[in-house]
Amino acid sequence: MSLDTAAPQLAERRWSGAISLALRLVMVVALLAIVVQAAIVVRARPQDLITGAYGMADIIRRAMPPDFSKIGMVWWPALETIDLGIFGTVGGVIMALPLAVLAAANVTPSRYLYYLARGVIGFARAVPDLVWALLFVTAVGLGPFPGALALSVHSIGMLGRLFAETIEHMDMGPIDALSLTGARRVQVFTHGIIPSILPSLLGIALYRLDENIRSPLVLGFVGAGGIGFELLSAMSLFQYQLVSLLLIITFVIVIAAERLSALLRARLG
Amino acid sequence: MLGGNGSGKTTLLVCISRMLRPTAGEILLSSTDLTKLSGERLRQARLPLAMIWQQASLVRRRSVLRNVAAGALGRYGGLWTALGGLPAVERRAAYDHLRAVGLAALAGQRAGTLSGGQAQRVAIARALAQRPQVLLADEPVASLDPEAADDIMRLLRHLAAHEHLAVLCVLHQVELAYAYADRVVGIRDGTMAFDRPCAELSRDAVRELYLNEAA
Repeated sequence: MSLDTAAPQLAERRWSGAISLALRLVMVVALLAIVVQAAIVVRARPQDLITGAYGMADIIRRAMPPDFSKIGMVWWPALETIDLGIFGTVGGVIMALPLAVLAAANVTPSRYLYYLARGVIGFARAVPDLVWALLFVTAVGLGPFPGALALSVHSIGMLGRLFAETIEHMDMGPIDALSLTGARRVQVFTHGIIPSILPSLLGIALYRLDENIRSPLVLGFVGAGGIGFELLSAMSLFQYQLVSLLLIITFVIVIAAERLSALLRARLG
Repeated sequence: MLGGNGSGKTTLLVCISRMLRPTAGEILLSSTDLTKLSGERLRQARLPLAMIWQQASLVRRRSVLRNVAAGALGRYGGLWTALGGLPAVERRAAYDHLRAVGLAALAGQRAGTLSGGQAQRVAIARALAQRPQVLLADEPVASLDPEAADDIMRLLRHLAAHEHLAVLCVLHQVELAYAYADRVVGIRDGTMAFDRPCAELSRDAVRELYLNEAA
């Protein structure tokens, strides 16, 4: 670079420095404005928290001690919650796997099926499990079954997407080699793709199981069984000591599921 | 088959295996023209044509034996193989193929644990499981050390003689071609420069193949 072109470039640099500083200021102000408008829109009133503290303390006092004498009638909904998670995950895996194959760009048999599968997966994910539960409760009635269905369908969203990504990122060498030996498409899938990605699939499914054992709590609120349903009825009957027992049980189940899932996933590595 | 980088050796091999459809010409395999076929009929017609690459391309999490037996899948269409099973006949045959490449002792091991040379032998055994008439090899020794490379070339040579296989092998090392080939085809700029028995091949002709690259 010659000297006479260097001078204007320096000036340019000074300008761009000033502009980027101004931009940064604008960004900070904009960020603040966004947070402030959020506080206004949700009508955040810190003083209510202070006056409400007494009410909260009262509820906690009435919930103590947890009513352990009711433990006999709690274990069934607890089992129901766990089984909701298991059924939801297994059902989700069964439906997500074929969809994932269609939705993986490198193995999909056709462009149309690719977009269709991506659409179904995206839709299952976009509709919250609570809404799925409401839909299935209207369809098959109250009880744990609609909850299990809701979890299955909602799980397709996350499982399908992650399965498809796993397939897209796998080493295609063995797959191409197998197709070239004359193996049919199904055979390439079961002999090449599945064995290669099985550990990743199991890991994802276990992760989802952990999540599916946590979410039935909310599903119970719309009548889809499990501990959530018991929690809702105990709350509406003002049985706060039962509520605290249910919360403890829930806590134990959730932590246990999370630890177990993490432990199994670590074993897979 | 010899030739410089980008001369079209691999493209030619890929066309012969019909992963690509050539724009002109015909590929005759026992007097069937592969260029005219597609879909299921192409799959059937291509069965006698096996291929190995620079990478062994094994399913790393499956056993060596199952990797080899999977080479035979093209001949089976039933539900059992579709669900991931392997015919008992082919498992036994896979042992024989592994013995042919000298690796019967490793049959139960996971394919991911093998060394490069061993993996390439397993890939050859898988190709044998396909019961091919022709074996296409795309730089099969390019990522191996000289000793393993010699082993593999000797094995290919042996199989060509004893299993009545036509072996078409793309090589980068000219010396290997001199040592193991019957016939050498030189490719330059996408056209055939020469096609001669190895014995009649002059060093100058080979050197000329790589000249354009330097210029």
